[in-house]
Amino acid sequence: MKMCPMTGKDRAALLSGDPEEAGRMSMKEHLEKCPECRSEAEEFRRLLEGADGIKAEIRAAVDSVDWEALPARITDHVFRQVRDPEKVRLADRFRGWTASRNMKPVLAGLVLGLTVGAAAMYLALRTPGPGSGLPVGYHASGEFLDRVEIELARRQTLDYLEKSQHVLRDIIQAPAEPYGSLIPLGSERARDLLQTKRYLNPQLDKFQMVKAKAICDQIEILFLELAQLSEDLPAAELRRIQSFVEDRQILLKISLVKKELQRESEI
Amino acid sequence: MKKTIAVSSVLVLLALSPGGSGLAAQKAADERLFQEAKLLIFDKDWRAALDRLEELRDKHPSSPWAGPALFYKGECLIGLGGREREALRTFKEYVGLAGANPSLVEEAEGRIIDLAFALYEKKDRSAVGEIESRLKHPGKAVRYYAAYKLSLVPDRTIASKAVPVLERIIETEKDRELKDRARIALLRISPESLRAAEEKRPSQDAARMVRVRVWKKGQKSPTISLNIPWALADLALQAIPDEEKAAIRKKGYDLNKIMTELAKSKESILRIEEDDSIIEIWID
Repeated sequence: MKMCPMTGKDRAALLSGDPEEAGRMSMKEHLEKCPECRSEAEEFRRLLEGADGIKAEIRAAVDSVDWEALPARITDHVFRQVRDPEKVRLADRFRGWTASRNMKPVLAGLVLGLTVGAAAMYLALRTPGPGSGLPVGYHASGEFLDRVEIELARRQTLDYLEKSQHVLRDIIQAPAEPYGSLIPLGSERARDLLQTKRYLNPQLDKFQMVKAKAICDQIEILFLELAQLSEDLPAAELRRIQSFVEDRQILLKISLVKKELQRESEI
Repeated sequence: MKKTIAVSSVLVLLALSPGGSGLAAQKAADERLFQEAKLLIFDKDWRAALDRLEELRDKHPSSPWAGPALFYKGECLIGLGGREREALRTFKEYVGLAGANPSLVEEAEGRIIDLAFALYEKKDRSAVGEIESRLKHPGKAVRYYAAYKLSLVPDRTIASKAVPVLERIIETEKDRELKDRARIALLRISPESLRAAEEKRPSQDAARMVRVRVWKKGQKSPTISLNIPWALADLALQAIPDEEKAAIRKKGYDLNKIMTELAKSKESILRIEEDDSIIEIWID
């Protein structure tokens, strides 16, 4: 078996890219002749090719690293943090060990491995790009769903106000007894509208709906009254509700809020 | 002034009525307190209203107005703020009253759910039990509302207990508003359950999914990315931010036009390109 003229020291120089050491012999010529060195160089080339396969941004990140200075910077950083004297002695030994020329390829490999690993992790965990990795099933962000709920509340509030106007108009125009089906019908509609209002409350508390909230709350109190009414409602009670709706101009207020809600948010 | 006239007229009518002696006077007193309290509630004068209601319940415990006064007392406690626990106890007391009005009982159940949620938000974790227990309430209005409210709890383990009721709403309810609310709630806590519930529906549109992407030029991820059931498409499009809506309008589209174009073909993709953004909407 032919002995290779390159020593371990030389290989270290080759891998670490030290120009002074590399200049001592023609690497190209030697690699053609020496299978051992060629195999080692090939292995290194494959490693670099693997790294090349990663996206350009990763290569840019790798290129931006000062490979010559990085090991020293890492060790400096580690040793700067050591304060305990005993640890300092250990650290000095470690520094001496890493500073030896033989350890340079190991450090270079370690740093490269860490960089490639970090890059792979970055690729695996980063936000998916366009056309790839976007969710295929139903999905929407919580923030967007809040917006959808506000839009739903805007529509439902309009509907609620519209229906409330119908109920209150019926009540205002109701003749004196007998009421027929008017009161039970009004009472049933009031109960339905109370249910709708319950779902609107969380959105009405938000600033976009503040104007609608005041009138909706007032209507709710009236509907709590209406929901309890029955056919044997005393005429005086009906007159009380009628005059209340008229005195407080509830129907006019409803119309104004409706107009405001209709103007908002149309595509 | 009008309040005074209204109250006075009731008093005059009662005083003139036959046999209007002690009993009539008491009836007038408790009813007067009750009507005054309701007017004060209407004007959100919670403190004064609460005083009237407590006076009514203290002085006239057997009055027919004493029961409803308990419900309105709860309303005042909510209005005053910071007294959620007391309000919750008051509504629970009303629900347990013999002869309580069914409409007010249903309202009181809704208030209990809201108050429990408010207490949960103030770190009282045990309060959520009041909502969970109402998922099995015999009244569907209470059950549905409990499920909707529970879906808003940030803890997914708790929120997911609402899933069966929400699925049921989508599968069986006819009310579109309720179904849309249930869809949004499921999209929030369990999108895969929404998919399953939609696919069980017989409608042709049930399985259709609308996809919306909004890209800002130069950015690799979309600023808006939605996959939603067709039933929520118009709501979602209306909910996109104003900037994108302006871009859509500028290109001559409105909500109806978009929905019509999307409905035309499963393969069609609507692409609206503006200076710094691209909006893509399509159906799968």
